[in-house]
Amino acid sequence: MNAKRKELIEVVGEGNVLDNQEDLQAYSQDESFARPLKPWYVAKPHNAGEVETLVQWANRTNTPLVPISSGPPHFRGDTVPSVPGAVMVDLSGMDKILRIDTRNRMAVIEPGVTYAQLLPELAKEGLQIPIPMAPRSNKSVIGSLLEREPNTMPAYQWQTLEPLRCLEVVWGDGQKMTTGETGQFGSLEKDWEKGFAQVNPRGPAQADFYKFTSAAQGGMGLVTWASVRCQVMPQVHNLYFVPASEVEDLFDLAYELLKFRFGDELLLLNGWNLATILGSEAGNIKELAGGFPRWVLIVGIAGRDRLPGEKVAYLEKDIAEMAQERGLCLVPFVQGATGREVLEVILNPSTEPYWKMRYKGSSQDIFFLTTLDKTPEFVKAMNKVADSLGYPSSEIGVYIQPLHQGVNCHCEFSLSFDRSNTSEASRMKDLYAKASDELLKQGAFYSRPYGLWAQMAFNRDAQTTDVLKRIKGIFDPNNIMNPGKLCF
Amino acid sequence: MALSREVYQALEDIVGPDNISDDPALLDSYVYPLMATSLHCGPFYRVFTPRAGAVLLPASTEDVQAVVKVCNKHKIKYKASSTFWGAMGYPSHEDAVQLDMRRMNRIIEIDRKNMFAVIEPYVIGATLQAEAMKVGLNCHMIGAGAGCSPLVAATCYVGFGPDSFYMGVGAENLLGFEWVMPNGDTVKAGSLGSGAGWFCGEGPGPGIIGLIKGTIGARGGMGVFTKIALKLHPWPGPTTLSASGTPPAYRAPLLDNVRAFTVCFPSWQAFADSCYKLWNAGMGYIAHRQYNKLGRDLKIPMIKILSDPDKTLSDLEEMLEDPENKKIAEESKYDFELVLAGMTKRDIEWQLKALDEILAETGGWKSEFMSRPEIEQWSLLYMVRLGHKGLNLVYGGGYDGSFAQNGPPDFTASYIPGAIEFKKSWEKKGAIVAAGGDSGMGGIGGMGGGGSVGIESFVHFDPHDKFSTEGTFEYYEAVVKYERENGLPPGLQRLNGLSRGSDGREFSKEVRKEILSAHPQSAVFRYQTKIREIFNPNDLGDAYYVTI
Amino acid sequence: MALKDYLPQMERCGQCSYCKWIPFDHVKSWRFSYGCPSIANNNFNSYSARGRYSVAMSLLNGRSEYTDRVLDIVYKCLTCGSCDVSCKICRYNMEPLEMMRELRFKLVEDGQLLPEHMFYIEHLRKEDNMMLKPKADRGRWAEGLDVKHVRDKSAKVLFHAGCRFSFDEGLWQKSRTAVALLMKAGIDIGIMGADESCCGCRVFNMGYKGEFKKFAQSNMELWKTAGIETIVTSCSDCYHAFKRLYPEMGTKIEVVHTVEYVNRLLTEGKIKFNKNVPMRITYHDPCHLGRQGEAYVPWNGKEKKIKNQIVVYEPRKPRYNGANGVYEAPRNVLRSIPGLELVEMERIREYAWCCGAGGGVKEAYPEFSNWTATERIEEAKSTGAEAIVTACGWCERNFMDAISASGDKMKVFDVVELAQQAM
Repeated sequence: MNAKRKELIEVVGEGNVLDNQEDLQAYSQDESFARPLKPWYVAKPHNAGEVETLVQWANRTNTPLVPISSGPPHFRGDTVPSVPGAVMVDLSGMDKILRIDTRNRMAVIEPGVTYAQLLPELAKEGLQIPIPMAPRSNKSVIGSLLEREPNTMPAYQWQTLEPLRCLEVVWGDGQKMTTGETGQFGSLEKDWEKGFAQVNPRGPAQADFYKFTSAAQGGMGLVTWASVRCQVMPQVHNLYFVPASEVEDLFDLAYELLKFRFGDELLLLNGWNLATILGSEAGNIKELAGGFPRWVLIVGIAGRDRLPGEKVAYLEKDIAEMAQERGLCLVPFVQGATGREVLEVILNPSTEPYWKMRYKGSSQDIFFLTTLDKTPEFVKAMNKVADSLGYPSSEIGVYIQPLHQGVNCHCEFSLSFDRSNTSEASRMKDLYAKASDELLKQGAFYSRPYGLWAQMAFNRDAQTTDVLKRIKGIFDPNNIMNPGKLCF
Repeated sequence: MALSREVYQALEDIVGPDNISDDPALLDSYVYPLMATSLHCGPFYRVFTPRAGAVLLPASTEDVQAVVKVCNKHKIKYKASSTFWGAMGYPSHEDAVQLDMRRMNRIIEIDRKNMFAVIEPYVIGATLQAEAMKVGLNCHMIGAGAGCSPLVAATCYVGFGPDSFYMGVGAENLLGFEWVMPNGDTVKAGSLGSGAGWFCGEGPGPGIIGLIKGTIGARGGMGVFTKIALKLHPWPGPTTLSASGTPPAYRAPLLDNVRAFTVCFPSWQAFADSCYKLWNAGMGYIAHRQYNKLGRDLKIPMIKILSDPDKTLSDLEEMLEDPENKKIAEESKYDFELVLAGMTKRDIEWQLKALDEILAETGGWKSEFMSRPEIEQWSLLYMVRLGHKGLNLVYGGGYDGSFAQNGPPDFTASYIPGAIEFKKSWEKKGAIVAAGGDSGMGGIGGMGGGGSVGIESFVHFDPHDKFSTEGTFEYYEAVVKYERENGLPPGLQRLNGLSRGSDGREFSKEVRKEILSAHPQSAVFRYQTKIREIFNPNDLGDAYYVTI
Repeated sequence: MALKDYLPQMERCGQCSYCKWIPFDHVKSWRFSYGCPSIANNNFNSYSARGRYSVAMSLLNGRSEYTDRVLDIVYKCLTCGSCDVSCKICRYNMEPLEMMRELRFKLVEDGQLLPEHMFYIEHLRKEDNMMLKPKADRGRWAEGLDVKHVRDKSAKVLFHAGCRFSFDEGLWQKSRTAVALLMKAGIDIGIMGADESCCGCRVFNMGYKGEFKKFAQSNMELWKTAGIETIVTSCSDCYHAFKRLYPEMGTKIEVVHTVEYVNRLLTEGKIKFNKNVPMRITYHDPCHLGRQGEAYVPWNGKEKKIKNQIVVYEPRKPRYNGANGVYEAPRNVLRSIPGLELVEMERIREYAWCCGAGGGVKEAYPEFSNWTATERIEEAKSTGAEAIVTACGWCERNFMDAISASGDKMKVFDVVELAQQAM
């Protein structure tokens, strides 16, 4: 152990290797039901060179590496070691915003850059990026994008990985590479000199290398910077609700809005989830939920760059008419919440405590991909399982996020629980497992297979599993990158 | 050495005797003349791609899988192609098995609500668009036109098109897919593999989608794609294009909410500025510098010829002298075609106003000539259906592209004047059509949401003429040198240059190794080599999948 | 020109595959998007125009020899000209249909004949018709019809029935109707009855240029002797022969299709439609009246290049691309009939799907011929029409045979029949 410690210090420096029990304990578990396991060390590199050396060292010494970029709390279990002897590679110290190119609307950032850090800097340049719904303030932007966390603006998702573009990655075999159009001139700086801005993520050559890192839970390599496509910050931005008592009643309108790409933010929440993101604590959440409609379609209408007021005006009229044709109403507020309030919440990192923790202290999410029209069946199934196990279905947060310009959607159930209550936690674990299984049977696609979903997803698809293992064998032949995750 | 009888019989047993042939003359209709449009490796005068050992027509994924397994068993190279538009679809080795995917031509499903279609390899853009329009949708039309396969665009080659900044490139539209891998195993990717449906190409986890296509696909060198789901996009126009008129001057009725303009600018910088402004405004449906492929000096009379059934190419010379045509050409030096599509009346009104603002800010204007009703009708149909891409070949039958470095518009504005002058100087030598130097065609977008521009400098030549063909080859070699000397990334002209050599066969392995090992990111090709070794262990593709 | 003179085109074919489809601008559905029946039925690339360019080049370059497959490729072309129209949407220096015919001529010249065709050729040589019937029976269709024979009484206008209408009893009524209608309108019309000969179009398309020339010269001589100024015919094959092929050999006679004549009479007010014909119909454009119905334009020029490498012609070469075929005349007649509802198929005018009877295919490959016709009937049915109407005996017979074989109920009419019903 001491030899390893020494070697790690040689790579990242004395103050950047942690091995005291308190620190290790913090990395050993998260809010999920992943089996806690302490790493042996935490290494905190500060540049790509150190990362490269670290990975090469890990290959030589057969040491598992578990990457982590965001601050706690974590929820997915992907940052908890699955095998003993692991070294956490904490990239949160690599937190430079390397460049913001306003003209080309691109930002190049390191993995430790969080939403709280990036958004204000982009705002100074009149830019924004689509973000997940009220992410943790210490959430790594690259971490979020690599894990394909859904963002709230489907109109700008020409493909699922948007707005992620080019990367610099150290693969599990220790080879550093840049993806996409980067590196044509030898370095980032030389690219910039020539006027390139890391816009095109494809390739290089004939593999989409950046996709090997996507939802890989750090299992293929470590990303040391990424370029991110930005949008122009709207000058006029309003948010509206379309309430309904049944979620299906909103689909026709939602599909039309998705088809026309009308609206920036476009998502569906049940009343409980709306209350959770707006509420401050349990009592307040319950009170809000009591007054909210059962379901809302949330539509953000933005005008940016030119004629913003006119753009917003016509979109508001058109969308209001479309809603009316369907017996619905586009309204700027619902009882207990205004559009402005909700916009403020979903466009910014969550205030503390993280909104999912506010009701009972912890939350277990079940999420998967499907198509919008199928979501009611999943809601029914989730409610049925919850009710059968004594969990009040009225307290399940439902979040339906259309993705990829409407082709599919992220369907998420948030289950609040008190982790400190052992029996409650145990019941939640059971509920989580049973519901996940039931939803799988109904056709849920666990495209981001954390924890027990991994076995479910990969058991369903033996061929993909086989191919993925072979891909892993190419980029991480010694299986040192977060072993035990996915199907590896 | 032709295919053995045993192998031929095994293949015949799979597809049936009517769907396989080794007749030499028939096989020669599956041989590509590389003096025509070699697509970025030649042209090579009177050189043909090698003759296959047999050509066969599979009807199903099971057929394809069985054929690939036979090939693996007997270590026989194979290549599949759908529309055989370019040399990539043809084998690089003698006596390979050529799969002609023509019988796999179904549109299996169009999901109107979730906006995707499930298609087989021989579905072409025209038929998919026609069916999609019936339900208010449209498909991304790849730059090679409506006669080509969207499946191939999404999986096998490049996949840009005039609508890319609204509809994305081929790969951005790829959802679940079915792939007969090079070793004959069949894998279903994304949500399809999990039995959940066609709606997502990614996952579980990284999924396998990264394997199949990067900047370009494997160009037939790594197995066969047998079905894909392709994302569709809104079409706010009528359910059919209702083309009418006398050939070739077909037109579509003008629509209130879909307008086709040609926008012109006073300089390349203004052209570049306009790209950013359009993307920032989030407006536009199709944006492409299309007609300029005919040549700066020639395009205006050519548009008049193409839109007038009484005119032919023989009228061109006289029309070039017409002062009106010269004036319009002069005004159209920095131009591109822009189609606006409003989802509602208010939407199109806003876009039209925004466009006027952008033009005012950049000193640009709408071409009056292209706004004449009969010309707008012609251009609208052309740009939406993209059914006239055979015009690449209009002058003499040979075309190929050069430059086309994809990059931000400012980058394009910086290098393109030099590239134009360079080509103009070569036009004087006589081997290529004297088009006025600038015969650049390309997308204002490059990907969904915009961000890059790639202007392909078209070169037109006569494949029947040795001087012309060889002169074109020399020009491309000179372009390679020009790019190196001027610090430009390699352009389109040799995109397939490491795949097929001057004898029409696979490019030399040794030379390939030498060049790729010196590449700034040679690791890329080492990884591709590993990918090939693992997934194509018998190496039955060809060098269109580039390995060291 | 000889086949080797098409080598430049073979090398200038960019292999774009437009020849396989109708012009893309007109594609309205997946189902009815194919233009070339040959490749649609046979699938291999060689069964398209681009494929035949490649096969021809392969033969010329000595890379391959005549085989059964080569004959199959060459003779399974309907010479319908769909490829020609589609190619010429973008190309001004390619002639796929001409090349295809030249390829046939070469095969015939080289003795690569189909026995099925030979059977018809031998009969034609003996009996002057393509219907395997005795020449003496040629005039029987007009029995009882009070029409003059030009051998006995001169007439300015000659009605040329054509082989199909002369010998196919099931179609006699259509030619009788045509003659009766024209006579009723006061046209000074005559026929040649049993003295009429084949126009030669079918054997021309089969590849027998020599036979065609013999019949053409003979016919032109006969007309000259009889003082004929105008030929009217209801057969589109004959129309094409007289309008496009014969003038190349010197004739300047006016050639009019029956439907053109009826339309002319209608427009001039010499006939009127005043009876209701309540029916929903669709119109099939015969290849030889539509896209191949363009008049011959003399040209004797050569290729030249402008702007270094643009291939043009000096003097300006006439362009046969279906632009000036006969499309409106039959439609105008049909639209003028009270009660008749004309609905269009997806593939019409210059991009119409062939009936399947041409190019020697009906004679040699009846299954392929029938398949082609059946495809067209399916397209007609998709419009909701009760009947398919056309202006060519070969089309009519092929449709009738296909309908009969499938047990379908669709009716088949000639334009002139419906015109008569409306009078």
